[in-house]
Amino acid sequence: MTLIEVERVRRVFHQGRPDELTAVDGVSLSIVAGEVTVLRGPSGSGKSSLLALLGGMARPTSGRIHLEGRELTSLPERFLTEVRRRTFGFVFQQFHLVRGLTVLENVMLPATPLGVPRAELARRATALLERLAIGHRARARADWLSGGEAQRVAIARALINDPRVIIADEPTAHLDSRLSMELLEIVAGLKADGRTVIVASHDPLVYLAGVVDRTVSLRDGRVEADSR
Amino acid sequence: MIVNPAVMALVGGSALGGALLVAAAAQGVAVLRGWDLSSGSERQLALERRTYLVSTLLGFTLAFELLSLFLFVFTADALAPQFTGAMCAAGSLKASPYGYPVLLLKLANAVLAGLWLVLNHADQQGYDYPLIRVKYAALLGLAPPALAEVALQGAYFAGLRPEVITSCCGSLFGEGGRGLGADLASLPPAQAGAALAVVLAAALGAALRFRLTGRGAVLAGLLAAAALPAGLVAVVSAISLYVYELPTHHCPFCLLQREYGHLGYPLYGALLLGSVAGTGVALLHPFRRVPSLAAALPALQRRLATTALVGLGAFAALSAWKVLASGLRL
Repeated sequence: MTLIEVERVRRVFHQGRPDELTAVDGVSLSIVAGEVTVLRGPSGSGKSSLLALLGGMARPTSGRIHLEGRELTSLPERFLTEVRRRTFGFVFQQFHLVRGLTVLENVMLPATPLGVPRAELARRATALLERLAIGHRARARADWLSGGEAQRVAIARALINDPRVIIADEPTAHLDSRLSMELLEIVAGLKADGRTVIVASHDPLVYLAGVVDRTVSLRDGRVEADSR
Repeated sequence: MIVNPAVMALVGGSALGGALLVAAAAQGVAVLRGWDLSSGSERQLALERRTYLVSTLLGFTLAFELLSLFLFVFTADALAPQFTGAMCAAGSLKASPYGYPVLLLKLANAVLAGLWLVLNHADQQGYDYPLIRVKYAALLGLAPPALAEVALQGAYFAGLRPEVITSCCGSLFGEGGRGLGADLASLPPAQAGAALAVVLAAALGAALRFRLTGRGAVLAGLLAAAALPAGLVAVVSAISLYVYELPTHHCPFCLLQREYGHLGYPLYGALLLGSVAGTGVALLHPFRRVPSLAAALPALQRRLATTALVGLGAFAALSAWKVLASGLRL
């Protein structure tokens, strides 16, 4: 079943200026629910820009994106925020954990605007940290974590609102091979939960992994190949 | 021209607001000509992005338009000592041929701005810009009087000369005088008061009925709209007499002064708020079946009805209190 439908999407930066850059150039594709899809391509190929568009973090210059048939790109900001908050969980390349807050507080953060009681939120966050084998670091400050630990915390944070889609941008960029394999095991677990996972990566460990259902190759903002 | 901070704020604010309105009107024309939500074209997406910004800026501009009515009256009142013969804003406004036209235009624009803000707020409750064409068409209708106000207000302040001899409120709102003020002052207070009581009771009743049952939105809106002129007429012909405790002093502006506890501001503010909010109930009614508004609009209409009840109720209570507590008996 198609979860996300992308129709001739373009994303142009600095439009009309001398440094105009077309990051995504007329991409059309369908993301199937429950699959792990990898967007691969060299640096500057438009992976991260397309990922941001898929997750509703950026708006296209032209083209439309539908989520379960509902048009996403025209939504006024507060509606888009609501969809983004409840549908997508994001794992960023630099993790973007908030320094000074504890691991538990970082994981709870995206759910705070939803008004869930704090005790319930803490229970959910603790369960996620336990599941990702990082529960013993719940009270540690985010700035004391190693790269692998920070990655797990970032994944727990992405899962706190129980999203159907996990979006990860170069998730292995700061991990060694062992930690990258551990990450892929986590991705397999998310897939087994029925979640859709979309990853942007140029790491062969990721796009050649068995858990990946589909690889979309990008170059110069265009789809070069789409393979299963 | 008399220059003081309030005059500068009014002239500067309305010039800025006028410029924003012109820009927004241009966006309005583009929306009316080319809006197509089913299209993913670059032009459509640019319109969607811009309309969000324009609506936000217009919200502030038109909120200023509402507030500037009171700032204008306050400024006219504060300028009164500069003119020979002026005792309050009534004389200051008479010191230039543009004074009263500006006041009436500002009042009309404040009502229109309030209604546009209601429309804009309703539009923002839907995920698919359900009222975008309506609100931009309304904006195109609102822009010319707003720009006329900018010009007339500028001409009013530019034409003020301190040496001008003007009329005091006693002659402008005297029963034997000429003009609209004198005509209103000549109305029999008992009848004007009774008419206000009937209109207010009907408007409050209709707003309450809508609040409780969801029925009678149009009637509630029409009666709330009628409450504004009825209230203003009654203030001049009847309520002011009880406030001043003088059977011949009908000025609607002296109410703004310290001697009378600045009563005019809450009195007129409550009337304007109640009337605009109540009219908004009817304004939104034709759109209650728009799919993306079906869930949000009834609740918004109920909140507007509540606001109308509060505004008109406060106006009625303040008026009744002043009449009952007054030492004057007619």
